[in-house]
Amino acid sequence: MNAIGLDTPVLETERLTLRAPVAGDIDAFTTFWSSERAHWHGGPFTPGRCWRNLGTQIGHWVMRGYGGFVMVERASGRALGLVGPWHPGEWPEREVGWSVFDPADEGRGFAKEAARRVLSHVFRDLGWPTAVSYIDPANARSRTLAEALGAKPDPAATLPPHPEDAAPCIVYRHPHPAEVAA
Amino acid sequence: MSGLHNREIPTLETERLILRPHREADLADWIAFYASDRAAHVGGFKDRDEVWRGLVAGLGHWILRGYGMWAVEEKATGLLCGRVGPHCPVDWPEPEIGWLLLERAEGRGIALEAALAARRYAYETLGWHTAISLISAANTRSLALAERMGARPDGIFHHGRYGEMPIYRHPSPAELAA
Repeated sequence: MNAIGLDTPVLETERLTLRAPVAGDIDAFTTFWSSERAHWHGGPFTPGRCWRNLGTQIGHWVMRGYGGFVMVERASGRALGLVGPWHPGEWPEREVGWSVFDPADEGRGFAKEAARRVLSHVFRDLGWPTAVSYIDPANARSRTLAEALGAKPDPAATLPPHPEDAAPCIVYRHPHPAEVAA
Repeated sequence: MSGLHNREIPTLETERLILRPHREADLADWIAFYASDRAAHVGGFKDRDEVWRGLVAGLGHWILRGYGMWAVEEKATGLLCGRVGPHCPVDWPEPEIGWLLLERAEGRGIALEAALAARRYAYETLGWHTAISLISAANTRSLALAERMGARPDGIFHHGRYGEMPIYRHPSPAELAA
């Protein structure tokens, strides 16, 4: 039974390999999700919850047929972060989200490189008509990246559920490749 | 639902039940379960988003562990009865046979039929030599089910979210065969 595996796509960029999460990613995910950096995602979380979150990431692939990609730096083999198509049950739209695990890996363009590739994947391979990124207004770095990718705030978009004590996120809508080509 | 990968999660059949992978169509029943008093024994209320994530994490458990819990469906009606199966999140003391029963399935031996099938699968297919079930001390119906399966108290496990849970140890494969 341990042969159960994921028959999932692998995407390549100049410096990164993007692949579905696997059990061996647990240490990288736990370090990230149990750190303060996870507060953008409702954390920090206990190690047990981190393991369940990894289960949710993998289960999302099983349930939806697509899901988040782990960004692996080809040169080092390190898992740097998570980027990808994401659509948990109650969200009004499908998202392309991103996280860089370690602040030391920020500022090198990895998330941008990965997000560009994944946006191309969701539009061209998965055939999404549109894609958004839900971003906390206080997450300046993430907003800058969304804007660098050509996404624009869409004030008319329906917001995903969020805790009453949290600020509503900004819905950034990405340009469809057909729009860009026009 | 795409069905991708689900072919790799086995389906079991018993006299009255089908044990099959979780589906998005099961969500409404689980949202109702986690909004009801029944959730008190299994960590308490979960909102709709948490329920979705938990259900999906159950599918991920199959990939992470090579086994996991099934949705229990009644053949005669096609209705969801609960979930059951071998289960071992990273913060569990050892692998368990877990079950959660929806109210509509109570009082008809459905949980027993499903749990026996799950235990048989753990012993015969997964090769487990022992199995426990973790049960909230206040969950009298669940405790009674463990006892009907021949399981006996074997200490207490304390979990950060789920609190104190008596450990019930099932008879081993050798004991069942004797």
